[in-house]
Amino acid sequence: MEKPIFEVHQLTVNYDKTPVLFDISLSVPGGKLVGIIGPNGAGKSTFIKTALGLVKPISGKVEFFSEPLKNVRQRVAYVPQRESVDWDFPITVQDLVLMGRYGKLGLFRFPRAADYVACDHYLEVVGMLQYKERQISQLSGGQQQRVFIARALLQEADIYFMDEPFAGVDIATEKVIMDLLRKLKSQGKTVFVVHHDLNNVENYFDWVIMLNMRLIACGSVSDVFNPATLNDTYGKSFSLFDEALKISLQKSKGIKP
Amino acid sequence: MNSFQSPFIFFTDAVLRAPTIGCMLMCLTASLVGVIVFLRKQSLLGESLSHAAYPGVVIGVMIAGFFKLSDEDQSLIALLIMVLAFFSSLIGLWSIHWLSRKMKIKTDSALCFILSSFFGIGLTLASQVQFSYSSLYRQIQAYLYGQAATMTDVHIYIYGFFSLLIITVICSFYKEIQVMTFDRDYAKCIGVKIKPIDTLIFILIALAVVIGIRSVGVVLMSAMLIAPPVAARQFTNKLYLVFILSGIFGMISGFLGNYLSVELNTALAIKYPGDRLIIPTGPMIVMVASFICLVSLCFAPQRGWFLRIIRIGRFRYRCISENLLKAILRFCHTNELDGISFEKIEKYQSLSPFRLRYLLFRLCKNGWLEKTESGSYKLTKDGKVRAEKIIRLHRLWEVYLVNYLGIGAERVHRNAEEMEHIITPELEAELTLLLKDPKQDPHHQPIPPREIF
Repeated sequence: MEKPIFEVHQLTVNYDKTPVLFDISLSVPGGKLVGIIGPNGAGKSTFIKTALGLVKPISGKVEFFSEPLKNVRQRVAYVPQRESVDWDFPITVQDLVLMGRYGKLGLFRFPRAADYVACDHYLEVVGMLQYKERQISQLSGGQQQRVFIARALLQEADIYFMDEPFAGVDIATEKVIMDLLRKLKSQGKTVFVVHHDLNNVENYFDWVIMLNMRLIACGSVSDVFNPATLNDTYGKSFSLFDEALKISLQKSKGIKP
Repeated sequence: MNSFQSPFIFFTDAVLRAPTIGCMLMCLTASLVGVIVFLRKQSLLGESLSHAAYPGVVIGVMIAGFFKLSDEDQSLIALLIMVLAFFSSLIGLWSIHWLSRKMKIKTDSALCFILSSFFGIGLTLASQVQFSYSSLYRQIQAYLYGQAATMTDVHIYIYGFFSLLIITVICSFYKEIQVMTFDRDYAKCIGVKIKPIDTLIFILIALAVVIGIRSVGVVLMSAMLIAPPVAARQFTNKLYLVFILSGIFGMISGFLGNYLSVELNTALAIKYPGDRLIIPTGPMIVMVASFICLVSLCFAPQRGWFLRIIRIGRFRYRCISENLLKAILRFCHTNELDGISFEKIEKYQSLSPFRLRYLLFRLCKNGWLEKTESGSYKLTKDGKVRAEKIIRLHRLWEVYLVNYLGIGAERVHRNAEEMEHIITPELEAELTLLLKDPKQDPHHQPIPPREIF
C-alpha cells in the first residue's frame, strides 16, 4: 500500500458523557474520498474532532503526513456541522469565507487584496458569489453549507474534514458539494466526510471508515462495505459493550449507579 | 427657571470637565468590551464580575483606613481601590471557571453563585468599615451606586489610558476575536491561540468593569456592558460597525447622563429649594443607555419592532389580495363568466364591505383587476397570470406534502393555503424539479403550467 497520509494509533476518547471511542487504529492513503459512517452516537463527530485536536484523547495519537497536527495545521481544513454556530452573528458571507485565510495570515495581519480575490473565486466555485454581501442569517440551509465549504476551500489545504455536509441541504447543493469533492479528489486531495445516508455510500466514496465506538472496518468501499460489516456497525451486538462502558464511566466519576 | 447651559461648558469647565470626560471614556470602554460579551452570549458575566469587584473595593478602603490615608490622598486611594477591585473580580472570574470546569456546575449557576457570594462578602465587610473607618464609608457607598461628580482630572488620564489600551487590543486582535466568537472550534483548527486571547479578553472585561463601577456603580454596571451593543446590533450586520456604533452610543449615554443629571439637579434646586432632590449621574447614564436601546429595538430599520409590524401588515395585505384574485379567477372559471359583481364577491368573502371595496380599488389601481362598464370586476391579463401562479404554488405544495411527507390528501389544503404566498421562485424551481413538474394535484385538479405565453 502507498504511504498513508492520515494515521491513528490506539486512540481512546472519553467525552464528557457517554459517546466514547475505544482503541481505534487506522490509516488512510492520500487522494481518497473517505466516508465516515456509523449510527447516531457512534462517535463520528468525536472522531474527527479528536483528529483535529478539538477533543483531547485519553490515549493514542493522530498523525498527518507522518507528523503531529501542530506541524501541518494549515494543510488540514475543517467544515464543522452547520448547527454548531449562531447564524445570527453580525458578519457577511464574505467575512465568513475570509476566515479561511486567518490561519495563514497569523496575528496582526489583515486580509490583503489577494485574499479578497481568492475569496471571490471560491465563492464562485460554490455558486455563492452573488450573495457575498449578504448577512449570513439570510441564507438557506444549503447556502450556509456552501459558504462553510468555500471557507475551507480558501484554506487551500490537502486534507478536508467535513461534518455532515449533506445534512438538511437541498438537492442542488448536494450535487454542487459532490462535484466539488470529486474535483478535490482529482487534484489529489483527501476528503473525510461524516455521512448518514447509507444508500449512496457506494456512489459517493471510495474509502469508508465504519465506526461504532470501536472501529468496525476501514478500507476501500469495494473491500469492506458489505452486509456483514454493516450489521456489525448498526447491529445490537454492541449494547453490552456500551453498558459496561457506562458503568465504568460512572465508577470513575464516583457516581452511584 | 433658568435655561440649560451650553453642552460645551461640560468639556471646558474645571469642575464639570472631569466627570463628563471620565464618564464618556468609561462608557466607551464598557460598550466596546460589551460587544464581545454580548456576542458570546455571556451577558450575565458582566453582572457577576461587577459584583465580584465589590469586596476588592471594600478591602481597598480598609487598607486606606489602616494606613490612615486622608482625603488629600484621593488619587492614591482611587488607584488602590481600582487595583484591588480588579484582582477581586479576577478571583471571581477564576472561581466561576473552576466551578464550571472542575466541579461540573452549570455556568449560569456558577455565575449566580459567585455574584451573590462575593457581593455578600463585600456587604459584610462594608458594614464593618462603617464602624471602624466611618469617614471612608462614603467612598464605599460611591462604588455601590456610582459617583461621577467627585472625579478629578487624574481619572481622565487613567481612564483615557485604559480606553486606548482596550481599543488597541480590539483592533489588533479583531480577526481573532471575530473568528473565536463566531466559531470557536474552527478558530482552534486554523491555529488561533485560543487560551491567551481568551485570557486577554477576560482581563479587558474585568478592566472595563473596574473602570465603570466608579461612575455607574456595582449594581448597574452590567447594563452599560449590554445596552449599547444591543442597540448597535439593531442597526448593522457588520461586526466592525457594531463595535463603532456601540462605542458611539456608549459615549452619548455617558455625556447625556452627566449633562441631564447636572442640569436637572440645578433646575430642581431652583424649583424646590428646600427638598434637596438629587438625580445621581450613574443611574442617569444607565437610563439614557437603556432609552437608546429601547428606541433602537423599536425603530431600527430591518430589525426594529415597529418596521417589523409594518412588514407583517404588508404581508397580510398581500395574502388577502392574492386570495381575492384567486377567488375571482376560480369564480369566473366555474361559472364561465367574464367578470364578477361586488355583491357576489362580498357573499363569498368574510371581509367587511368597506375593506373589500378598498382592496378591490387597490387591485384595480395596481393593474390586477379592471372594472367593466356594467360595474363588475374582471381580471386583467397580468392579474390572471398572478392568480394562476398562486394556484400553481398551492397545488405544487400539496403534491409535495402528500408525496414526500406522506400527509393525507385531505389535510394538506390548509398548509398550502399559507405556503402559496411564501414560496419564492427559487423554491418553486426546486419543487418543480423534485416533483418532476406534475400536472395534477392530490385532489385531481390541474396544476397550471409554469410559463404562460
